[in-house]
Amino acid sequence: MSDPAPVPDKELAERAVAGDHGAFDTLVRRHTAKMYRVALRITGSAAEAEDVVQEAWLSAWRALPGFRHESAVSTWLYRVATNGALGQVRRRKPTVPLDEGDAGVVPGPEGQVVSAEEVGTVLRAIAELDVGQRIPLILREFEGLTYEEVAEVLEVSVPALRARLHRARVALLAKLRRGPLGENLRPGER
Amino acid sequence: MSEDPRDDPRWAQVRAEASRPVPTPPGLVERVLRSVGGARGRHTTAPLDLPSDGGKTQVSERALVLMTRRLAAEIGRDLGGVHISAVALEDDELQVLVTVRFGVTASAAELLRHRLSAALSGQLGSAAPGINVHVVDVHPD
Repeated sequence: MSDPAPVPDKELAERAVAGDHGAFDTLVRRHTAKMYRVALRITGSAAEAEDVVQEAWLSAWRALPGFRHESAVSTWLYRVATNGALGQVRRRKPTVPLDEGDAGVVPGPEGQVVSAEEVGTVLRAIAELDVGQRIPLILREFEGLTYEEVAEVLEVSVPALRARLHRARVALLAKLRRGPLGENLRPGER
Repeated sequence: MSEDPRDDPRWAQVRAEASRPVPTPPGLVERVLRSVGGARGRHTTAPLDLPSDGGKTQVSERALVLMTRRLAAEIGRDLGGVHISAVALEDDELQVLVTVRFGVTASAAELLRHRLSAALSGQLGSAAPGINVHVVDVHPD
């Protein structure tokens, strides 16, 4: 016997508003992975990404009764996580390890911080972009959202988004050309 | 507009990175559920009664947990390397679960507890409940 069809997000959200805790928990199980992924790609830090996800879910839980379903639940959750990650990046400040013997990574100013080992060369280049370019690039190129969905998340028009994305792609490519990836290419490819 | 950067051979690296799986940290979903559960409250704890002139001020479990979480997150950021996993009110005491960056000493948890206690007392006065801080995980960055 096949499994029953999963309950749609919209129905889960409505049940959650009506007081069904299990429905909200199902949304958490269903969407946490992608919220973490987008937060990690924006912040470049696993620990900060977890903070973002935790805060995003608490924000979503509090805001859900006011959610009018003008966008898909998943798009709304992307917006909550993206705004949280943006706030996290903007709050960043250099810190000194509590233990002076700790040679751990010290976060730097916005746009320079990428410390997690799992963050690859491309993500390092993306992390050097201004967040105004970084976020649409991540949502479109990494998360695979449509232009319309990204525009909804960022609350901008599609033409404005397209222009911003183009500038972001150009900026990213310039960084890749300067980095080790560009150095590894044959002369004809430069 | 100029030529499309996606036509450049280097863009293949972007596509490759985009297709790389990003594993979710073990236990993250459970920690989120615990956080949400803590904020929901169990509705078995009476609201805190705060002394005030000419009446009574009450703070619900939900407000207390969310306020504590917010304060703890700010203090954790100030300390550096201390992240709040979950906050819940259990047995009339606040339980604060934290993850710490590798290399951060255990005294950070005590410092968090001390500062959080002071901050909460500043908000609630002598009615602030006791606070326990638990280090539940260590992360590498």
